[in-house]
Amino acid sequence: MADARPTIFVVDDDASVRDAISNLLESVGLRAKVFDSTEAFWKAPRPSAPSCLVLDVRLPGVGGLEFQEQLAKANVSIPVIFITAHGDVPMTSRAMKAGAIEFLMKPFQKEDLLAAVRQGLDRDRIRRDEQAEIAVLQARVDQLTSREREVMDLVVTGLINKEIGAQLGLSEVTVKAHRSHVMQKMEASSLAELVRMSDKLKPRERR
Amino acid sequence: MQSSARTGGTTRSLIRHCGIALFFLVAAFVPTLLLQRLFPYPFLFLFFGAVMASAWFGGKAAGLLAVVLSTVLVDYFFVPPFYSFSISTTAEAYFAAFVASALVASWISSAKKKSEEALKDALDQLEVRVSERTAELMKTQTELAHLSQVLSMGELTASIAHEINQPLTAVVTHGHACSEWLSANPPNLEKAQQTVQRIIQDGTRAGAVLARIRSLFKKEAPAKDWLDINEVIHELTTFLRDDAIRRRIAIRTDLVPGLPKVTADRVQLQQVVLNLMMNGMDAMAETSDRSKELLISARGDESELVVRVEDSGMGLDAEANEKIFDPFFTTKPHGIGMGLSISRSIIEAHEGRLWASPRPSGGAIFQFTLPVHPRDSNG
Repeated sequence: MADARPTIFVVDDDASVRDAISNLLESVGLRAKVFDSTEAFWKAPRPSAPSCLVLDVRLPGVGGLEFQEQLAKANVSIPVIFITAHGDVPMTSRAMKAGAIEFLMKPFQKEDLLAAVRQGLDRDRIRRDEQAEIAVLQARVDQLTSREREVMDLVVTGLINKEIGAQLGLSEVTVKAHRSHVMQKMEASSLAELVRMSDKLKPRERR
Repeated sequence: MQSSARTGGTTRSLIRHCGIALFFLVAAFVPTLLLQRLFPYPFLFLFFGAVMASAWFGGKAAGLLAVVLSTVLVDYFFVPPFYSFSISTTAEAYFAAFVASALVASWISSAKKKSEEALKDALDQLEVRVSERTAELMKTQTELAHLSQVLSMGELTASIAHEINQPLTAVVTHGHACSEWLSANPPNLEKAQQTVQRIIQDGTRAGAVLARIRSLFKKEAPAKDWLDINEVIHELTTFLRDDAIRRRIAIRTDLVPGLPKVTADRVQLQQVVLNLMMNGMDAMAETSDRSKELLISARGDESELVVRVEDSGMGLDAEANEKIFDPFFTTKPHGIGMGLSISRSIIEAHEGRLWASPRPSGGAIFQFTLPVHPRDSNG
């Protein structure tokens, strides 16, 4: 988290185009890092700050569209903005279906590029925030004992202590004690908050 | 094959047949004579071998000859009474059996040989056909490779567009950046100045790309072939025939046979004619009030050739007539506008002229000239 300034990565094999995009981004106060190939970008370290990728379609080696697939396979979720000199409908729809933010034709207008870049950064920021929140919650869940976890799973389904006790073969008093530990460890101030936390965790916890 | 040998040299083939039959008979006769002492009955088996071998190597005639000769020999030497042509009554059946067997042996052998030869012939014919077909395919392949060279003009224009688009993108993007640097508070003049420098660089680069393309067609001496313009036109009409049928266009040619040959780059000249023909066909896409016809004609004298491509399409207005040869000028919705510009460069590189004019009955005429040089001036 040492470097939280957003970064825009630019991959284009044409030096003057890279240079110009970098200059434009810099002129509006954004930081750009440029690469001449997808391989070079792949090898470079990626910061923990929000980022997005401005990617040329036609590149030597691994092309833009293939690289988008490669990123998805490697579970690298960085928003992608495509730029191309000769795009067609199938190319555009392939890119957009795979989750691209925008598909811009060269030469593009400033507003279009900057809007796409901002949208990309926003999307990445939201994803990062969500991931960070989930990580915090997961850390809390990891502190629970297995019994507490069982109790929590039943509490969030809306059962009352008596019913939970009956299901787990525990006394109502014991369930109550576990339940208050769960609330403490999860740092939940209300049942509603605990339910929300559980919902957020769901896709990862039930793996 | 056999019949031709027979008609070609009857005597020679007869001598050959006799020779073969005699050779095998002597080969059978001598051992039989020697072996006779060992057996109580005449040992005649070797004669069957001789008959079969004669029929195999010499054909039916040699086989029959061997049968006749062996009959005579056997009768004289090995059938009692020995050393006489007369046959004792007891030996009659034995002798008849020998003759019959020899005939059958000869017939089987020559029939077998014949069928084997037929098989071999069929195999040879097949081989010849395979090699002919292979040669045909190779020819087609060369033609295709050549054609793709001609068609790569489309790719060339696409790559030119790409080459120009890159610096153009840089110029536009730097322009936006420059305006940002200037509108900052306070304006960042240093950055703006740097950006303007880059705009100049990229603009110059775009210009250099165009200059390079022009030099490609103008300064470089074209590869010189000694070629027949009628052949070039004929090839291209064949090539475009299917496309024309699909588009309901009739392609007609009006070529004077025996036009003088010209020294020119075949591929480049094909590109020009193909480009003019395709343009003509495109121009007739919207034509509905008259028949769609593309006429290619070639005329010439001892000083120059004139090739005309006429269409009955929408024709050219005064403004277009002046600009069609400019780079990037196009009347087509998806055209790049390089075809005629490049075509004119090619024709000029060949010391000819290319121009357009309206066709009196509607449509356009594109024509070019090529100088005719005497043959000995062609290095």
